[in-house]
Amino acid sequence: MTEIETVPAAERARGEGIAARVLRIALTERVVLLAVLLVVVVVWFRVLGAGGYLVAPYDVRYLGNALESMVPFALLAVAELFVIVSGRGGIDLSVGAIVSLAGMAFGFMVGVWEWPLLPSIVGCIVVGALLGAVNGALVAYVRFPALIATLATYYAYSSLALISNGNAPISTPPVVALHSLTRNVNFPEPLPPVPLHVFTILLPCALLAWVVVSRSTYGRSLYAVGTNDVAAAYATQSVARTRFTAFVMSGLLSGVVAVVTVGQFASARPDAGIVGNGMALPAITVAVLGGVAIQGGIGRVGGVLVAALLVTWLNAGMLLAFPEGAEGSRYQLLALGLVLVLSALLNTVALRRYGRLS
Amino acid sequence: MTSTATTAAAAPTRRRPRVRAIEGQEIALIGVVGLLWVVLSLVTDTFLTTGNLQNILFTVAPIALIGIGMTAVIVTAGIDVSVGSQAAVVMVIVALLVRDSGLPFLPAVAVAVVVGLVLGAVNGLLVAYGGIHPIIVTFGTLNIYRFVSLQIFGTEQVAGVPPTLAPIGGGAEGKLLGVPTAWWLTLVLAAGMWCYMRFWATGRHLYAVGGDAFAARLAGVRVRRRQISAYVLTGACVGLAACILIGSGGLVQQNVGTGLELRVIAAVVIGGTSIIGGRGTVLGTVLGALLVGTVSSAVTLLSWPSELAQLFIGLFILVAVGVDLLRERRRSAR
Amino acid sequence: MGETLLRLRGVQKRYGGVRALRGVDFDVLAGEVHALVGENGAGKSTLIKIVSGAEVADEGTVEIDGAPITGGSTQAAMEAGIATVYQEPHLFGELTVAENVFLGRELRTNGRVDWAAQRTRVGELLAQIGLDPAIGDVRVADLPVAEQQLVSIAKAFAHSAKVLILDEPSAILTDREIEVLFGVVRNLRAAGVGIIYISHRLDELSQISDRVTVMRDGEVVATKPTSELTVRQVAELMVGHALGSATADRPAPTGDPVLAVSGLGRSGAFTGLDLTVRPAEVVALYGLIGSGTDAIARALYGVAPADAGTVRVDGRQVRLHSPQDAAAAGIAMLPGNRKQQGVFANKSIAFNISSAHLRHLAKLGFWFDRRKERSIAEDFLRRIAIKAPDVGTAVGALSGGNQQKVVLARQLVRAPRVLVLEEPTQGVDVGAKEEIHRLVLELADGGSAVLVISTDLPEVLQLADRVLVVRKGAVVREFERGASQADVLAAAAGDEGETAA
Repeated sequence: MTEIETVPAAERARGEGIAARVLRIALTERVVLLAVLLVVVVVWFRVLGAGGYLVAPYDVRYLGNALESMVPFALLAVAELFVIVSGRGGIDLSVGAIVSLAGMAFGFMVGVWEWPLLPSIVGCIVVGALLGAVNGALVAYVRFPALIATLATYYAYSSLALISNGNAPISTPPVVALHSLTRNVNFPEPLPPVPLHVFTILLPCALLAWVVVSRSTYGRSLYAVGTNDVAAAYATQSVARTRFTAFVMSGLLSGVVAVVTVGQFASARPDAGIVGNGMALPAITVAVLGGVAIQGGIGRVGGVLVAALLVTWLNAGMLLAFPEGAEGSRYQLLALGLVLVLSALLNTVALRRYGRLS
Repeated sequence: MTSTATTAAAAPTRRRPRVRAIEGQEIALIGVVGLLWVVLSLVTDTFLTTGNLQNILFTVAPIALIGIGMTAVIVTAGIDVSVGSQAAVVMVIVALLVRDSGLPFLPAVAVAVVVGLVLGAVNGLLVAYGGIHPIIVTFGTLNIYRFVSLQIFGTEQVAGVPPTLAPIGGGAEGKLLGVPTAWWLTLVLAAGMWCYMRFWATGRHLYAVGGDAFAARLAGVRVRRRQISAYVLTGACVGLAACILIGSGGLVQQNVGTGLELRVIAAVVIGGTSIIGGRGTVLGTVLGALLVGTVSSAVTLLSWPSELAQLFIGLFILVAVGVDLLRERRRSAR
Repeated sequence: MGETLLRLRGVQKRYGGVRALRGVDFDVLAGEVHALVGENGAGKSTLIKIVSGAEVADEGTVEIDGAPITGGSTQAAMEAGIATVYQEPHLFGELTVAENVFLGRELRTNGRVDWAAQRTRVGELLAQIGLDPAIGDVRVADLPVAEQQLVSIAKAFAHSAKVLILDEPSAILTDREIEVLFGVVRNLRAAGVGIIYISHRLDELSQISDRVTVMRDGEVVATKPTSELTVRQVAELMVGHALGSATADRPAPTGDPVLAVSGLGRSGAFTGLDLTVRPAEVVALYGLIGSGTDAIARALYGVAPADAGTVRVDGRQVRLHSPQDAAAAGIAMLPGNRKQQGVFANKSIAFNISSAHLRHLAKLGFWFDRRKERSIAEDFLRRIAIKAPDVGTAVGALSGGNQQKVVLARQLVRAPRVLVLEEPTQGVDVGAKEEIHRLVLELADGGSAVLVISTDLPEVLQLADRVLVVRKGAVVREFERGASQADVLAAAAGDEGETAA
């Protein structure tokens, strides 16, 4: 059969001007676009601050403090990256429920059974990984659609979390003492104080995730399976195991977030990850904003982290711009929604135009 | 050739699975719900009381109602996770109009439906023309609509809403022949939608769109129009459901509708609608909602921790979809 | 036979540098079955695309009933009375047979679907096709695949077409179903419909067609009444008298077989396959679409494992239950469907080449050696002239030929003991084709066994030291190097010596 041979895009790309090139890089290199946006946001709020429109200074100290709220969402967005990149409609609605349930397990280990800290942290992460493994088994081996499997486990896990301690938080003294995990560390001026867990948890986890996704053989397999699972099978990848592992990674990272939230609240709260709209939705939003394509096979850890930072500092700025407490968080919703839809539109445009995203 | 035709006619006719009014999964659901009702009637003396049954039906109604639209959306291989926020927008608008402008019953319902239509249309247009995955679109509008509702709320919740909408509320006024009018409304709409999706050409096209949108377009199906119509219908259903939720009035809080989307999707999925599109019925969805409602009620009546209901919902989803997966696998293995 | 329904004059079409059609004249009369045959790439598909409105001719005219059509719209072609049945049924599993048949063009009265009328009409159609008329209300997903195929035929008949195009409808039907199909086709012919019948199974032509048009290289080489032709003659017309340029003299293979297959089978696909390939030998399996050769390839690579027989590589029996098993046994495979099974389109050339060798490229068991990946890819880029700026280029941005070279390169990274090639040069330009052949022979010269599975006859004869012809899931004949195209084609098409007339 004759096949229509179109002009290869590689050849088309050669004759482009500077403007077209800038556009292409902005559209295909998500990290670049996000970094530019990040600078714009910070500069804008600095200007607003200088003009006296903010209730408190949008300074380095404030930005450093704001990182506290970034940690859970950045980690969960990376968790979603694993699952979404694995393809075939991959998505994990249960991350918030895992945070709740693993957090309760952590609360019991530390606060009730009075295990030492390190085994408890490991235990909490293992619980998260196991819960992720249940999702992974359902999706990769039983072949449930990911949306359904994780919707079901969202319900099941959050129910178990709520029941585990009769819908009451665990706030015994050993748990309260965990707050020191998330205290601020002071640096010599002009560096701002930064929450401790940015260094002890976020950066190591991000680095590890980056190594796994971008530098390990597993990461290669993940992208291959997510891009085209039939071709991946022909290229001798074990498709099911790769997907399964993606969900385990997602659960594992949720377990890490459980440790963080228990520390932040100084209490193991059964509804930590599911209150309101829960943690899954913002995490998915940040992942997509960070360039993770919902059809799988596309997305980078760096992009997701910059997206998390952008959202964090944007939110922080809006809290200052709108003095009424509720109004600030309200505009955060608007920004999150608009940014999500627009970044998805950008993905579509970039894919149509260049046939490739990095 | 006539010879071929006659041989075929003479060939023994095999027994074939015919399209039935009720599908296997729906019968199973009826069985499960029925069994639960019997068991609960025997085990507790509070279940089989008019008040409790009325209560179950009333609480199920909004879920089932939105489920009608959601079934159409999921059948077209879409999803709408913004229904909770849509409900919040409609509720705050209607509650304020009813309280501050004294809007009467019918205009209030009309406003609710129109607002719902508009919100649904935004989703539909973005899905059909934006080339964005429905879950991303509606995650986005979930946030945006929540913002809109909070913006209208202002700084406080809407208190002291008069009982204008009581005729479809949960009180004594909202009963017809002892059954909540909200439930009657749901049943009538569900029946209408069931007929539409079964007998109308455009209703059948919804299945074609969800089965294979590209092939459907080649066959002459207006794919985008069908997609938009499903989201718009969902919006309208949300509008009606919002009226039921306001019901006899009182307080409308700022967090109304959070988590509603997951409950609706759970009902639809338990009802046998395939999340990858192309299959599902409204009857199944209503039964799925009824099962969820019954379980929630049962957990309360048995004085188990109320959170246990969620665990059951999760398990029901797994069982319902798991059975379906098995059946599919057997069918393709044949 | 009646007046001319469809008339093509001087139709030309080119795709880039390829002239797919070079001035084709073609007529279909009312009440005739006009067979259209030709090798892959002869231009049949392009011709059909133009007639059915999916493509526009560069030059020439297409007339239906004397009225010219411009083309470019399948809807317009349908309205003009042209219906097409494609090989793969485009059906919706959840809709009933009747709904599928009328999808998008429901019979309506006063705007509402007239279910009764549809049911009656479908009953008639099904009866004509030899299906139980009562299955109109059955969901298509509940029917066996073969009946689904028949339903898709019914769909094409539903709206009284003047010209019906059947694009290899028999390729996936059983003999009994083919009989049914022929019955319908004869009925339609009697009703005055003009039918274009495309088939590779030349033995069918005498049963069903009135005239045969043979195409070769974008031209019509003959249009004759079927009764004046034998299968053998049709085959000769298809391949022409040009000798396939035989591969440069390759030494006769010696030594113990690298690949030894005995009694291999998979129920419903193929049975009792015996086969040996010696070092440096290229063996081809040739069969028409639906003959089972693709299933043999998938079994040897463990994608769809065999359920009977044994496979030995270098004398050692191997278990082939997954591609991983096959790779461990030293078997590599170039899959036939490049887009679906081969490439990772939005990923780089380097990514595509390395994707089957991740463990091989790992340091410390998990760290992926990107430098080595890059150097391997760059090596191939130089060796096989992939036209791309660098190894970071996305494969989706390359032409089909270059994509295929990339997928082939993936199989050559660790010279496999056995290389299975499925349609290695489908949809590939001439230059890339030569390059691919060169690479394959290079590998063979190094002592590997090569098994080519192709429906491209000249390619098979050019590459292979031996050709095994497969028909209905079994090897029916074996040819040594130097066999004539016509002989091989006739064997594959089911010629048992009888004339077509």
